[in-house]
Amino acid sequence: MAEQKYDVIVIGGGPGGYAAAFMAADLGMQAALVDPEENPGGVCLYRGCIPSKALLHVVKLKQEALEASEFGLSFDEPDINVKKVREWKNSVVQKLVGGLGQLSKKRKVEHIRGVAKFTDANTLEVEHDGKSQEVSFEHAIIATGSEPASIPGLEFSKNIMSSASALDLPDVPDSLLVVGAGYIGLEIGSVYAGMGSKVSVVEMTDMLMPGADRDLVDVFAKRNKELFEEIMLETKVAEISGKRKLKVKLEGKHEGEYKFDKVLIAIGRKPRTKNLGLENTQVETDDKGFIKVNEQRQTAESNIYAIGDVSGEPMLAHKASHEGKIAAEAIAGGKVAYEPKAIPAVVYTDPEIAWCGITENEAKAQDIPIKVVKFPWAASGRAATLGRSDGLTKLIFDPDTERILGVGIAGKNAGDLIPEAVLAVEMAAVAKDFSLSIHPHPTLSETIMEAADVLYGQATHIYRPKRKKK
Amino acid sequence: MAKEIKMPQISEDAESGTIVEVMVSEGDTIEEEQSIIAVESDKASVEVPAEAGGKVKEIKVSEGDEINVGDVILILEAGENGEDDQAEDEEQEEKEDEQPEGKKKEKAEEEEEDDGDTEAKEKDPKEEVDKDEVEDEENEDADRKEKDKEAEGKNKKEANKKGEVPAAPSVRRMAREMNVDIYAVKGTGPGERITADDVKAAADGKSGDQKKSASEQSQESSLPDFSQWGEIERKKMSGIRKATAKSMGNAWRTVPHVTQFDKANISTLQDFMEQYEAKAAKAGAKLTVTAVLVKLSASALRAFPKFNASVDIENQEIIYKKYINIGVAVDTENGLLVPVIRDADRKSVTSIALELGEIAEKAREGKLSMDEMKGGNFTVSNLGGIGGTNFTPIVYHPQVAILGVSRNQIEPVYEDGEFKPKTMLPLSLSYDHRAIDGAEAARFLRWMCQVMEDPFVMLMEGGI
Repeated sequence: MAEQKYDVIVIGGGPGGYAAAFMAADLGMQAALVDPEENPGGVCLYRGCIPSKALLHVVKLKQEALEASEFGLSFDEPDINVKKVREWKNSVVQKLVGGLGQLSKKRKVEHIRGVAKFTDANTLEVEHDGKSQEVSFEHAIIATGSEPASIPGLEFSKNIMSSASALDLPDVPDSLLVVGAGYIGLEIGSVYAGMGSKVSVVEMTDMLMPGADRDLVDVFAKRNKELFEEIMLETKVAEISGKRKLKVKLEGKHEGEYKFDKVLIAIGRKPRTKNLGLENTQVETDDKGFIKVNEQRQTAESNIYAIGDVSGEPMLAHKASHEGKIAAEAIAGGKVAYEPKAIPAVVYTDPEIAWCGITENEAKAQDIPIKVVKFPWAASGRAATLGRSDGLTKLIFDPDTERILGVGIAGKNAGDLIPEAVLAVEMAAVAKDFSLSIHPHPTLSETIMEAADVLYGQATHIYRPKRKKK
Repeated sequence: MAKEIKMPQISEDAESGTIVEVMVSEGDTIEEEQSIIAVESDKASVEVPAEAGGKVKEIKVSEGDEINVGDVILILEAGENGEDDQAEDEEQEEKEDEQPEGKKKEKAEEEEEDDGDTEAKEKDPKEEVDKDEVEDEENEDADRKEKDKEAEGKNKKEANKKGEVPAAPSVRRMAREMNVDIYAVKGTGPGERITADDVKAAADGKSGDQKKSASEQSQESSLPDFSQWGEIERKKMSGIRKATAKSMGNAWRTVPHVTQFDKANISTLQDFMEQYEAKAAKAGAKLTVTAVLVKLSASALRAFPKFNASVDIENQEIIYKKYINIGVAVDTENGLLVPVIRDADRKSVTSIALELGEIAEKAREGKLSMDEMKGGNFTVSNLGGIGGTNFTPIVYHPQVAILGVSRNQIEPVYEDGEFKPKTMLPLSLSYDHRAIDGAEAARFLRWMCQVMEDPFVMLMEGGI
């Protein structure tokens, strides 16, 4: 085979990788995508965002069906057919990754199946099914993502699951311990609890969803008092033993020995750089294992870029896609940089929690002066029609300029409400901009407008006059 | 508490320079005002005086370093006076340092990225250099990197104060493409939001430096690859060259230039100078046309105050100066220097000639202090010694006029019904048309010519 040299080769077919490869192709470069799977998609589509959201939707429907009796609409007790749910979830994944495969072909992005390793700064060795081939390139974009971190000394197994294996939904165990109350733990914990498992959660810090603002987490905690068997904060796992029934030794506030059928370890993710052959290049990693990049996402090896989880926090698909496009544009000679002001975070539990820009916690930690206004959903007509007045919208402003620095929303469909806030933060909108933009009635989006009105003591649906200045 | 001696502002528009000599050593005891380093910068190699005396504890710079205003040059051991104040100040400074440091947590990642950037640039594999060179470069790079980091720290601090830059993503992208530092742009939108127009205005030069870098960059990028037509060599500009390029470029862009030409009949003046030469020599001065022109320019500035002024376009005002300092362009090996003769209107031609002699020698030896080159109101540039019939000098902004002098020549002048050989001196006056109109410039130059032709007439008519 004649030696082929790609303009851009992307290693890893996740949302960062395929976005980068597609962008490179759209910019007229010859691009290739290396991934072990048959189609692009990566963890996000195969073992992450997409399957988890499909499953969360199922359990949400079930919960809503149960609650509908309050509105006078009664169903029989929902019956979950796990096998069918799994098949439906897989069909969603297949549909999406198949679509991506089509898009790759249309764009003439070469899909090279296999695992890649740098042999030098211009060559990759790609191995698949015991066969290996050399591929040379002008530029490479590393988009290998991340993998679930485990507790030191603990191997993942059939019963000690990672998020990936848990999302396969092999069965619904009677009891499940979720280790780590971050968004992955709570989302997958919600799925299993919704399916009928007795789910307990253990978390090292003193709150659910560490890092998120407490008032938002409270909205989740209030509604989900019954969802979990037990929430054990300030506690950590010391040891897990046993095969059929797992014996889990906990240390800290809830010290003791507990028994579970299965354990889900969701204590975080780590960048995937192992066996990539980085030692054959100048690419450098930091002490956490992230690849060091500049604002164009260029590594210390000038023709190699890195994007997505492997290039640093936050490990989110949408951040990776954005970076991927930036890297491709940079390679094409564009004067571009990765410089977001607001990366939205969404937790797809019920209620959803979403925020962007600065959080109250961050402002406090960094001593940034802010002003916070809140609009409780109890005053929202739309929330009432949905029977879901348990939400909160809050806006974080710069006190001098009234510029919107951050927005946090907890409640039904919060994730779909946050983009307006992202645009506002990115555009450097001020509170008045929210106030003076007509929001459709009745929608949950009105809570954003009215939260801004609160700043001026003029929220229609809340009576809270502005304090007179003395 | 030890005292830091920092780099002072060495000239109006120079923020940095290259250290050509470190003139003290660690352990030396220095006096206040003693020169400690020589810096090549805006049109000069200048000696920087210590702002305080004491024993030198540590020298923070070395020859060849690039130094910025405010950088620490050296540290003195504890003095007795003002110690407490100093201590307090420093503590405060430290506190200020700490706080943003804490705030910077989130930025830590970004900083790493920046590091990655420098490293990525350093380690360009395409550059094949032999090992020794690489090592040298790395050392230099390390130095530079440290400085970059310091500078970065400062920027970060400022950025932190400002918070996030209030501009839409599209505007930020546009700024990047136009080489405008978005952090330096002042937003005019609500909540100080930076609009696309703000960025365009910044690129158009309403915010000084920004534009320059943009135009410099665009010039840079539009250069063809000359090596395709033959051998070339690239050399770094010297400090003086850089400063000249900067200030002349700035003057050319800012000042709408017009040049007025005239010729002065200096036959009588020459005769007089010849007679007076010996007397001046006795006083140690070399009587030159330049000395006479400096004196004459001073008188002219008195008679025409508009030429002794500066334009403050921002405030729509003209600044008239009540003192008369004349700059004199001096050609040196290192480049063009412009030392200033102060209060030239109150000095005799002989003392001006004396001062000129001293100052020109200092300039050639690179020993001019920055102060000696500051504060000029008008400049005389005499190229007559070299030759030429005329030239169009560039106004030394923020001055508003400059006098160019070319080589005198004996020419036939029609006088009393016949041609007579006369020594004619070609003069050219470039001026800032924002402040001065053509007729005024013509009068100014004519006035100078007339005074040289017949000083007595002017004396009688009250011109001088």
